[in-house]
Amino acid sequence: MKKFFLFLFLPCILIYSRTKLVALPDREISYIRFDAPFTAFVEEERIITLQKGVNQVDFSWKGVNIDQDSITLTFLTNKNKLKLLNLSYPPEGNSLIWEIFSPEGGEEKIRISYLLSNIDCLYTYKIVVDKNEESINFSVFLIIRNFSGEDFEKGVILPEFGRTIETSTKNEETKQILIYQKDGIKFEKVFVFDSSKMIWDPETSKENVGIPVYIEIKNKKENGLGESPLIPGKTRIFQTDKTDSSIFLGEDNLKYVQVGENARLYFGDSRDIVVKKKKMKETRINVRRNNSGGIVLYDTDEIMRIEIENFRDKNAKLEILEYIPNEWDMEESTHKYEKIDANNIKFVIELKPKSKEIVEFHYHRRNLK
Amino acid sequence: MKKKILLIFILSTFIIFAKVDIVTLPSRDKVQLTIYNSADLTLVRDERILTLKRGENSLQFSWANTLIDPTSLELLPKQEITQINISQLIFPPRVNELGIWKIDSKISRKVPFEISYFTSGISWEAFYIGTVSNDEKSMELKGYVKVINRSGEDYENASVRLVVGKINLLEQIRILAQKFPPYGKPGYLPPIMVDKEKVEMFKAARAVLAEAKEKEIIKEGVSEYFLYTIEGTESLPDKWSKRLLSFSQKDIPIEFFYKYEEEKYGEKVRRFIKFANDQNYKLGKEPLPDGLIKIFKYVNNEENLSYIGSDKTRYIPIGEKIELNLGESKEIKVDVKSIDTKTKNYMFNKDGNISGWEEEKTYKIKVINYKNLPVKVEIKRNFPHQYWKIDIDKNIQWEKYDLNSVKFSLNLSPLETKEFTYKLILFEGDRRY
Repeated sequence: MKKFFLFLFLPCILIYSRTKLVALPDREISYIRFDAPFTAFVEEERIITLQKGVNQVDFSWKGVNIDQDSITLTFLTNKNKLKLLNLSYPPEGNSLIWEIFSPEGGEEKIRISYLLSNIDCLYTYKIVVDKNEESINFSVFLIIRNFSGEDFEKGVILPEFGRTIETSTKNEETKQILIYQKDGIKFEKVFVFDSSKMIWDPETSKENVGIPVYIEIKNKKENGLGESPLIPGKTRIFQTDKTDSSIFLGEDNLKYVQVGENARLYFGDSRDIVVKKKKMKETRINVRRNNSGGIVLYDTDEIMRIEIENFRDKNAKLEILEYIPNEWDMEESTHKYEKIDANNIKFVIELKPKSKEIVEFHYHRRNLK
Repeated sequence: MKKKILLIFILSTFIIFAKVDIVTLPSRDKVQLTIYNSADLTLVRDERILTLKRGENSLQFSWANTLIDPTSLELLPKQEITQINISQLIFPPRVNELGIWKIDSKISRKVPFEISYFTSGISWEAFYIGTVSNDEKSMELKGYVKVINRSGEDYENASVRLVVGKINLLEQIRILAQKFPPYGKPGYLPPIMVDKEKVEMFKAARAVLAEAKEKEIIKEGVSEYFLYTIEGTESLPDKWSKRLLSFSQKDIPIEFFYKYEEEKYGEKVRRFIKFANDQNYKLGKEPLPDGLIKIFKYVNNEENLSYIGSDKTRYIPIGEKIELNLGESKEIKVDVKSIDTKTKNYMFNKDGNISGWEEEKTYKIKVINYKNLPVKVEIKRNFPHQYWKIDIDKNIQWEKYDLNSVKFSLNLSPLETKEFTYKLILFEGDRRY
């Protein structure tokens, strides 16, 4: 399908009667950039034959959605000699006419650019964890969804991932292209127990309570990546098994990952790590009263206990996220923790295979009335 | 027999969309199904031999009336990996349920390929049958798996693998399978519908049980999941189910015990069976996937059985203990009576009003065992808040469970009645601080 028409008129005929076709030049090449959602920025190069004097070039389209005001024309040859005199929009829409002055006749190369709707690209990722859980194979796929109404026979796709792809794309076609693949990328598996989101006592639930498991990858050169930011996209994670076949571990949406940053992908729950949290103490201490005997200030003395059991036959890195409201002071803790912000702390526990661990922390919380 | 999946191999380049010039119509050589139980998802690996020509080859794959997720399609050569480049997968305009792979080959020969994809409509579940001995001291436990095919596609001689574990899925495969175009259109983001009703209907569909063959099931852990590989191959025609014995273990020592907790179970006593998934209980070779367990008991020496009850088990990792709740029991009675309430140790504020006091409550607990067997009874008592003190008979075993509850543990001989009292002191108002 050809939905774009480029007509060239003999100089100095009536602008609005578009007859007398001089040339219908073919596209040389198109560059398609996907910078904004659902819209592509198209730059196409064509050769047109200009007559000496004022030429009218009519650019019209049908069945495609072009942002009319985004259309620009650039001269690639004789930049200093050619002059764009005028641009007009005819009343029937979906077209425009450029008036170009050329000091002498001949072929010229021009670039027409515009924003085209209903064409975009998506990213999907595939991760295959090796059977010893030491490294991953990382593949990036580009999915071109062209529902713009236009075919591009020779298109250069410039995705954000930073690799140039030369491919054709037909209207209403979806195309999946493998654009990057790398083996041997290091990763880490992290188990996360977030106290404010998860069930404290799994025995109170009729359903299985699993601990969310994440794969963490560094987008860094030394890790085999780090060439460009990773663009958000659905990521499917597999793992090779003993028979060299593989099983599907789960999927997550990769978020935007700048070079040097870490990506975390949640793929499933582990039921072989059991975490049970209990509050063992909460009493009021340091109570201060006003003259009428009313309480104006007190601290709560609280003890939390987290019982962890690793039923796996491997080590596990478990992160425990705890939220402590208001003003607080830690009195005692069995394990080191990191203060994420004023009210959130994080324990990182390295669990040995088939082991039990108890994390207990004791804090005072200030209460003003 | 229905075959919904078609694979057509097209002569190098020329006319992509005209289904002519078919070089080979390869049939399945091997098929492997990896079936999940936490989601309606099966990973299918289909091995076929393709005859490649040097240059560009096109392979057309169509899957009308199946539940295949087109975004999961993948083609991989099993040999000559460096000679073959599969650069693109094209979903042509206005054609549903069809994809074309572009294969660039540096060689001309037969090459085995693997096509993999996700399909919905095949599921599996675990269930158990336990038979308790007459003296209630041991149990025989049998675990089964049942595979159900509602995918629209027949799978003949497939090697079947079952995955135990909860995976994270962003969209349901059933929804993805119905999406056209496969990745949607730009600007249009279809809502992710969770089609629970259909899944439930599907689950509830009565299974046609095929004859259970005593096949071995090989078990191994992969990542956070557990993989069951059924020995040999199975044929799974569309709309059929199959039941297989996963394991059978005799003489598992078990312990019956009883629980009483008003807030959780009301005033009735609940009967439980306790054992663990470890070597002490002749188990522990594999985690036990979640499933319904039915418990029967031998009532005489003629092997007549009675049905005791059932419970839905959670996933039990290796080494974890199991408590099965078998419902109400009339064989044990727990009677809790409040026999005395007192308030004392008052505090008064400046205006002469009461600002604090202690409440002393005395309870009598009577436990009766109507059975001819010794029993264990656990009684949990929950208090209204954490400001309390307790005074209990010295010979009663108890522990603080958490900040506002305690647990009493009693052992009773056959037909024995035990009684004990405890005094709970609750600190109220300013007496708390």
